[in-house]
Amino acid sequence: MFKKLLVANRGTIAIRIIRACRELGIQTVAVFSTADKDALHVRMADESVCIGPPAAEDSYLNIPSILSAALTYGADAIHPGYGFLSENGDFAEACQRSGLQFVGPRARHIRLMGDKPRARRIMKRAGVPVLPGSEGKGVTEVRDAFADAKRLGFPVLIKAAAGGGGKGMRVARNAKELVRLFPVARAESEAAFGSRTMYLEKYLENSRHVEFQILADNERHVLHLGERNCSIQRRHQKVIEESPCPVLTARMREKMGKAAVRAADVVGYSNVGTVEFLLAPDGEFYFIEMNTRIQVEHGVTEMVTATDLVKESIRIAAGEPLGFKQRQVTFNGNAMEFRIYAEDPERHLPSPGVVSNHHPPGGLGVRVETALYDGYRVPVHYDPLIAKLIVHADTRDLAIARARAALREYLIDGIKTNIPLHMKILHDPDFIRGSFSTNFLSRYERAPAHEDPVAPAAKAS
Amino acid sequence: MEAREIKALIALMHDHGLVELEIEDKKGKVRLVRGTAAPTAAGESNSVPRVAAPVPKAQKGRAAAASAKSTVATRDGSGPLELAANQKVIESPMVGTFYRAASPDAAPFVEEGSSVRKGQPICIIEAMKMMNEIEAPASGRIVKILAENAQPVEYGQALMIVEVG
Repeated sequence: MFKKLLVANRGTIAIRIIRACRELGIQTVAVFSTADKDALHVRMADESVCIGPPAAEDSYLNIPSILSAALTYGADAIHPGYGFLSENGDFAEACQRSGLQFVGPRARHIRLMGDKPRARRIMKRAGVPVLPGSEGKGVTEVRDAFADAKRLGFPVLIKAAAGGGGKGMRVARNAKELVRLFPVARAESEAAFGSRTMYLEKYLENSRHVEFQILADNERHVLHLGERNCSIQRRHQKVIEESPCPVLTARMREKMGKAAVRAADVVGYSNVGTVEFLLAPDGEFYFIEMNTRIQVEHGVTEMVTATDLVKESIRIAAGEPLGFKQRQVTFNGNAMEFRIYAEDPERHLPSPGVVSNHHPPGGLGVRVETALYDGYRVPVHYDPLIAKLIVHADTRDLAIARARAALREYLIDGIKTNIPLHMKILHDPDFIRGSFSTNFLSRYERAPAHEDPVAPAAKAS
Repeated sequence: MEAREIKALIALMHDHGLVELEIEDKKGKVRLVRGTAAPTAAGESNSVPRVAAPVPKAQKGRAAAASAKSTVATRDGSGPLELAANQKVIESPMVGTFYRAASPDAAPFVEEGSSVRKGQPICIIEAMKMMNEIEAPASGRIVKILAENAQPVEYGQALMIVEVG
């Protein structure tokens, strides 16, 4: 097992990793930017190193600085968390070349799955159902995109080949929209990923986002830990996730789980990963992409399977084989995660500031992952995710009741949060019935979005 | 050597930013050392006078800047350092290991009291097995060295204090 692990991240996930290390008896090194010198992860870790100025590209994305910190402070492993460098193949490779164990898959798997058109080709060949879309290496020009769209039929989803996090993604309902939105999405992709390559997918109305958690050791034991329904999204960003998915039957779970395991196994994947599917209203499912890292919403799976995914990822990286088999994976009850953002719930604008009166909820089946504390200033430089509330109960109805009670208890002063939006969703009859698809949140968007001159019109609809 | 001559030598050292000066002639040997942390000439003959560096100028500067003091935080918890208006903190531009000399057996680039020219190497930070020379940001005198040789330093950590002028 590792002796000292550097956590190359910040916020809630950095704390999650530090806790796992503590249980495993591993020393931790936190890294931070000058904007984060008062951050909780810095206080919690055994050692901490300032790695650069506030801008992420100079600190949390600064590979030489992070590696230098790891080597200087004598770490033997690096956990990238999610976001930042977690899906950067060059970083994973640079770690290995510096003699540091990267807690995650091998660099080639990160690169393979990061190239979405290539991942689609491999999955198709492996017999994993893939959405109809652009063939080959993707498209860069509007006329090629138009040819693909004609073949697929509108509406289509324009996506970035190097995509992630909903960036460079647009729905086009007709040729006019495609001509207008393709260059916009391409520019977004160029800015975010430095790539002009795009691809198209058939856009399925009323479909659900259902993803499967994968665990794979270095001896090619691959298993899944069930699904998460992440259909409550705002602008392709997840807001609420739950497990199990309310419409999935045991038979469907087995079928999709097998496909997810095959997707990971066919490339020889190792460590934690998530295979994302689109589940159509007719019960057909299609591979969208694979995320080669721990997810924000991993806690939901942890609650229903009683598995510590972060500890598993560290153990696998240290070369340990999986301690259990697929048939030993059991599912208990229902879990839901509510992402709490420092944002104005009406205007959807970030709301940085100094936190006061922070009283997270507690009680049976209530878990809060947060980096907040009284007097903490939420910085403007990073993602506004400040807390995750995860509830776990025997049934979905009980989980909803528990979530309502917990959110009511949750006090945060000094900044605005999206807790009021979560409360609205928890009282929505369609949500309560479990009958919703990825465009669900558009019903709460339309009115304020139109009055708001800053935010562009809702496009998640 | 007469006191007048020694005074002249001190002025010369100050003007040219010398830390240490040793002169030998028919009349004998004199060794002059500026600064407080510099090694003492213990064990040398009594005939060799040891003359403290002239500091009135610096003291004057400090006193004059008393109303415009700034502080710099130190990471070891030893409390903030007070800075005079003409003093600047040299911060580490990267994470790495701090070295005061180019190699273990070489002399340090600078000592406390050393005069430096802008752009002159003052230390090395080893990051990813690369030796990065850190240059003086301004001409002046190194008044304090805050980082320990061969110890880790982080981004923005105060390494030295330079008195500009």
